[in-house]
Amino acid sequence: MILVEKAPPFATVQDMGWLTGRAIGLPQGGAMDPLLLGRANTLVGNLPGAAGIEWALGPGVLRAGFACELTVLGAGQVLLNDEPADMAHPVWSLEPGARVAITPDPEHRFLYVAVRGGIAVPEIMGSRSTYLPGGFGGFEGRRLKAGDLLPVGPALHTRLGGLVHPRAVPDAGAAEMPIRVTRGPQWDRFDEPARRVLLESRFRISASSDRMGFRLEGPAIVPSRTATLPSEAACPGAIQIPDGGVPIVLMPDGPTVGGYPKIAVVLRADLRCLAQYLPGREVRFREAG
Amino acid sequence: MSGFGATIVPLGEQAWTVVLGETVDRLLHQRVTALAGRIAGAKIPGLVEIVPAYATVTVFFEGDAEEIRRRLVALCHPERSEGAGGRHPDPERSEGEGAEPQLHTIPVRYTGPDLAFVATETGLTPEQVVERHSGREYLVYLLGFVPGFGYLGDLDPSLVLPRRATPRTRVPAGSVAIAGAQTAVYPLATPGGWHLIGATTMAMFDPAREPPALLRAGDRVRFEPMP
Repeated sequence: MILVEKAPPFATVQDMGWLTGRAIGLPQGGAMDPLLLGRANTLVGNLPGAAGIEWALGPGVLRAGFACELTVLGAGQVLLNDEPADMAHPVWSLEPGARVAITPDPEHRFLYVAVRGGIAVPEIMGSRSTYLPGGFGGFEGRRLKAGDLLPVGPALHTRLGGLVHPRAVPDAGAAEMPIRVTRGPQWDRFDEPARRVLLESRFRISASSDRMGFRLEGPAIVPSRTATLPSEAACPGAIQIPDGGVPIVLMPDGPTVGGYPKIAVVLRADLRCLAQYLPGREVRFREAG
Repeated sequence: MSGFGATIVPLGEQAWTVVLGETVDRLLHQRVTALAGRIAGAKIPGLVEIVPAYATVTVFFEGDAEEIRRRLVALCHPERSEGAGGRHPDPERSEGEGAEPQLHTIPVRYTGPDLAFVATETGLTPEQVVERHSGREYLVYLLGFVPGFGYLGDLDPSLVLPRRATPRTRVPAGSVAIAGAQTAVYPLATPGGWHLIGATTMAMFDPAREPPALLRAGDRVRFEPMP
């Protein structure tokens, strides 16, 4: 068991989400930065898709209920029993009762905690991810709070692969690269000036952004034809343009269908980078070549 | 890509959307259902999921996008791919889909907080609203918004109203609601802008059930007033 001694403002159990279910309205769900969760899992000898803790917005404290191996990726600082942890070799063997105090990195929105064996909450429809709008999955379908006892699963018999050096963890936060997009299903509804607004402007991540979608502040993007269409499938990464022209990038918990035109879709490889952007941060887009 | 009355557009790197039209009507939806059935029956390698909607069928896949697109082009025009003049045998019940449309009867207590408002706005009595809402069979056009949320139509024209000016921050699960020409049952407690005219205890979505969602696109629904 892992005890949540002091819960951060926003932490949920996540794995890689649901492969299918869109036809019944179930979102893809899962980690906002699946690559970072996967690396954290690999470090402690789990399969990359094991469930871990997705953590955001502030510090908190965990306590090991038994001897275990644990890692934290994407954090600013980790204290183990009040001593700074070795962040260059971030796989720590914890004694029962060990205290893990975690502070986020100011450049990352989400950090991940992985434990050897994985967080063993029950699988719902094949995933251990928390889907907050539905109040199911993960740990009791909700954010973690102080006093929660998270079950840990059995470790894999053999450790898979070599340890990933933490420097090999792709830094989603630091790169000032434009986010790459492909043309969306309704690209043709936007004229050249509107497309240029998307591809040549600087936007900022709005404070009203969450696991369902990121709103962007910046110039409006106005379609040249009637904006709304009969609802059709959407996906994480789709850039929807609502009537006001303010783009929304759909995230893993976002709706599976929508009636707003989708001008472009963020590449999967870049969506995790965008997901790590904190509110106020500047973002640019470019067409994938 | 154009042709055969269908356009195929990309939805990111791992999905194609086949656009059959831009309207909400039953005839178009029949073509959507038929195409979704044909795609399911074709058992295309790498295909992950098919999401039919009002006027589109979106196919999520892993693997070679161009190969999937070629298969979709062929399926958009079954007569060509299956021999001259050949009709596809009952495309709505293609094997592999297991999608025999079902008729669901949903018991409703018509005591919703907006029933009086709907009556006033439509110039009907609350009894007439209930009568007209429960007096017809609805088509499940698609599922989306949240898990298990079915968009049902078409509403009796006299009940068509715009959405609430201010959406509620929380609509209780089981609420039976109307907006535009659509009606729906909220499977989960979520924010919502539709008019709440009743409630059901029938679970529209239960993650522990198999299948979790009561409705599927293409199913039919009747509402039965409960005392």
